[in-house]
Amino acid sequence: MNFAVEIDHVVKKFTQHVAVRDLSLRIPPGTVYGLLGPNGAGKTTTIRMVLDIIAPDSGQIRVLGAANNAPGVIDRVGYLPEERGLYRRMTVRRVLHFLAALKRVPSAAATQRINDWLERLQLVTQERDWGDARVEELSRGMQQKVQFIGALVHEPQMVILDEPFSALDPINAQALKDIILELKRAGRTIVFSTHLMESAERLCDAVCIIAAGAKLVDGTLAEVRRAHGLRQVALSLDGDEGAREGVQRVLHDASLVQRVDDSNQVLELDLAPAADPQLLLRRLIDAGAVVQRFELVQPSLHRVFVDRVSAAQLEHAEATHA
Amino acid sequence: MHKLWIVIRREFQERVRSRWFIVSTILVPLLMGLVIVVPIVLAARAVPSNDVARITIIDVSGTGLGKSVAFALDGGITGDTSLTRVTAVPVAELAAAESSATREVLAKREKGYLVLGPALWPKPAVRYAGSNASSPIDMNRLQRTVRDQLIATRLREAGMDPKQVESLTGLDVQMHTERLTARGRGGSGEVSTIIAFFVAFVLYITIFFYGQIVLRGVMEEKQTRVAETVVSSVRPDTLLFGKILGVGGVAGLQLLISGVATAVLVMERGPLLARLHVPMPAFEMPHVAPATALLLVVYFLLGYVVYAALFAAIGSMVSSEQDAQQVQLPIALLLVLTATFIQPVILAPEGRMADVLSILPFSSPIIMPLRLSLVSVSAWRVVVSLAVLLGGAWLAVWLAARVYRTGLLMYGKRPSLRELVRWVRASG
Repeated sequence: MNFAVEIDHVVKKFTQHVAVRDLSLRIPPGTVYGLLGPNGAGKTTTIRMVLDIIAPDSGQIRVLGAANNAPGVIDRVGYLPEERGLYRRMTVRRVLHFLAALKRVPSAAATQRINDWLERLQLVTQERDWGDARVEELSRGMQQKVQFIGALVHEPQMVILDEPFSALDPINAQALKDIILELKRAGRTIVFSTHLMESAERLCDAVCIIAAGAKLVDGTLAEVRRAHGLRQVALSLDGDEGAREGVQRVLHDASLVQRVDDSNQVLELDLAPAADPQLLLRRLIDAGAVVQRFELVQPSLHRVFVDRVSAAQLEHAEATHA
Repeated sequence: MHKLWIVIRREFQERVRSRWFIVSTILVPLLMGLVIVVPIVLAARAVPSNDVARITIIDVSGTGLGKSVAFALDGGITGDTSLTRVTAVPVAELAAAESSATREVLAKREKGYLVLGPALWPKPAVRYAGSNASSPIDMNRLQRTVRDQLIATRLREAGMDPKQVESLTGLDVQMHTERLTARGRGGSGEVSTIIAFFVAFVLYITIFFYGQIVLRGVMEEKQTRVAETVVSSVRPDTLLFGKILGVGGVAGLQLLISGVATAVLVMERGPLLARLHVPMPAFEMPHVAPATALLLVVYFLLGYVVYAALFAAIGSMVSSEQDAQQVQLPIALLLVLTATFIQPVILAPEGRMADVLSILPFSSPIIMPLRLSLVSVSAWRVVVSLAVLLGGAWLAVWLAARVYRTGLLMYGKRPSLRELVRWVRASG
C-alpha cells in the first residue's frame, strides 16, 4: 500500500530544545487523520517538515509516494497553517489567483474554481461580491473562509490543517467539517492537528498522539482505545440511602475498581486489571443497588489522551531530573 | 523558475496598481519640472544688472547696426555713451577683435562682447560671450535690444510700409551665448557637476526607499503570517528573490518614467519656457555616452540588490516596528554615510578617498556613478569596482537567504547576534 505520508525516524533539534525525536508514522490514503498532542508537542514542526518548509536533521519523509522535496509533490498538497493571514491590501480574487498560480493551476481553471468556492461559502451573495473587496475589508470569519479556499483551490490529493478549529466560529467550524467529510468521500487524505479531543473523536479515522516530540500511540480510533488496555463501565444507580454504604464498599474494592469518576448522573468506573465485570455487577446487586444502566464502554479519546500524555510527561520529567 | 515568476509578478503588479505608485510616479516628474522651471521663471522676473551695457560690440555686418544697438543699450540720447565700445571690423579681422575683447573680459574691464553679423538677413548671426552669459535677464535684455534695432534698421531701409512692419516684428533673434571662464569656453562644467550630484542623490534615495519597501514587504508577510501559506508552495529562497526582483522592477519602472519625463522636460524646455514668456537659459546638456548610461544602470541594479537583500534579512528577523527601526540602523547608516561622502567626492573626484569609496560594495553603487558623470575613470578601476560589487551582492543575497528562511517562521523576541550566526551556519 502506498501511504499518503511516511515519516521514518525523523529528528529535528532547535537551539533550545528537541522538537521532534525519532518520530515514525504512516498515514493511510483516503483517511481523516488526527495528529494529537498538547501544546509544544511538535505537531507544527512535524507538519512543516512534511511540507518541506523546514528540513529534518535526520530521517526520511515521503509524501504521496515520493520524497517530499521531489519536484511537484508539494503542489498536490494543500495547507492551512495554524496562524492564518493573507495579504491585507490585495483583493480576495487576486490573493486566491496568486495562491492557485503558486500551485500551478492554469488561470482559466482557477477563475472558475474560485468563483464556485466564493459562491459556496457565501462570499458572493446577491447584495455583495466580496471577491473584489480587499482582504482587510473582510471580517475575521470571512478571511478564514478565504483561507480555506486558498488551501483547496488546487484540488489537492492531501490537505494538511494545523489546528483548524481553533479560533473558528461555530458556523465556520461546521462549514470546515462539511468540507473535510466531502474531501474524504472524494478519496482525498485529510491530516489535521488538534488538541481538542472532541473534534478529533468525531472526525478521525485514525490518530497519532505525540508528546514532547515523540509518538505515544497511533492507529485507528478503535485500535488506540483498545491498546490503551483500559476497560470502563458506565453505571447509573437508583435506590434508597440505606443501600449506599454497601454499594460504596463494592465500588472501592481495589480488586474490582481502580478509579471512580462521579459525574452526578453517571459514574464512570475504571475496572481493575483482570477484574470480571460480571462479578462487579453481581456484587452491586447483592449490595442492594438498583441498577439502571450498566454498560461496558471503551475509554474516550480524551481519556486516552490525558492518561498517555500525563504518563509521558511524568516520565520525561523524571528522565530530565536524573 | 515558474514560481519565481509568479512571486515577481505579484510583487510588481500589486505595487504598480497601488494608488501610492501612481501618485508618486506623476508627482516626481512634476517636482523635477518645478525644480527646473521655477528658478528660471523667478530669475526672469528679477531686475537686470545695470552694467549690461559695459560690453564691446564687434560689428561685422557693415550696416552700422552696432552703433544703434550701443545707443539703445546705453539708454538713448540721455544715456552714458562711454559704457559700450563699438568696433566695426571686416570679417577677416573678426578673430583678432574677438581675442582682444576676450582679454578685456578676463581682465574684468568688460562684461562681455557681442558679435553682430556678418549676415543679418534672413537669419541674423548674433553671438555673445561674457561672464554674465548664464544670466537669463541680462541675455534677454541684450537680445531684445538687438532685435529692436535690427527691425528698426530694416524698417528704415524698407520705407515704413505697415504690412512690412507687421512681418518684420515677427523676426526671431536667436542669440548664441557662451560662458567665458579662465578655464575656457563651454558651460558644461557646472552643469555636469549638478547632474553628477543629481545622479548620486537619486541613486541614494531610490536604493534607500525601495530597500525600505522590501523590508516592509517582508515584515508584512511575516506579521500577517501569510508567509507560512506561501512557503508551503515555494521555497523561502524563491520568495525572497521574487520579492527583491519584483520590487526592483517597480523601482526600475519608476526611474524609467521619471528619467524619460525629465529628459523630455529638459529637451523641450525651450517651447515650455516660451509659453511662460521666459527666455531659455543658456546651458548645454552634457553628452552622456551610452556606455556610461549602461554602467549607471548596472551600478543601480547591483547596489539595490545589496541593500534590498540586507533589508529583507532584517525584515525577516524582527516581529515589531520598534525592533525593525533598531536592527536596520547599521544598514541604513552605511547608506547615509555614503551619502555624506557625495560632496567631498565631487570636490576631489580623482582622489584617494574617491578611489576607496568606489571599490567598497556599500558605497560604490553611489560613488562610482557620481565619479563616472564627473570625470573619466580608468577601465580597470571600473572593472575592479564592479567585480567587488558583484561579489558583495552575491554575499548579501546568500546571507539574507539563510537568515530569511529561519527568521520568517520565528516569532517573538528578535535574535541575538550569536543566534543570527547560528541561523547563517545552519544548513537546513
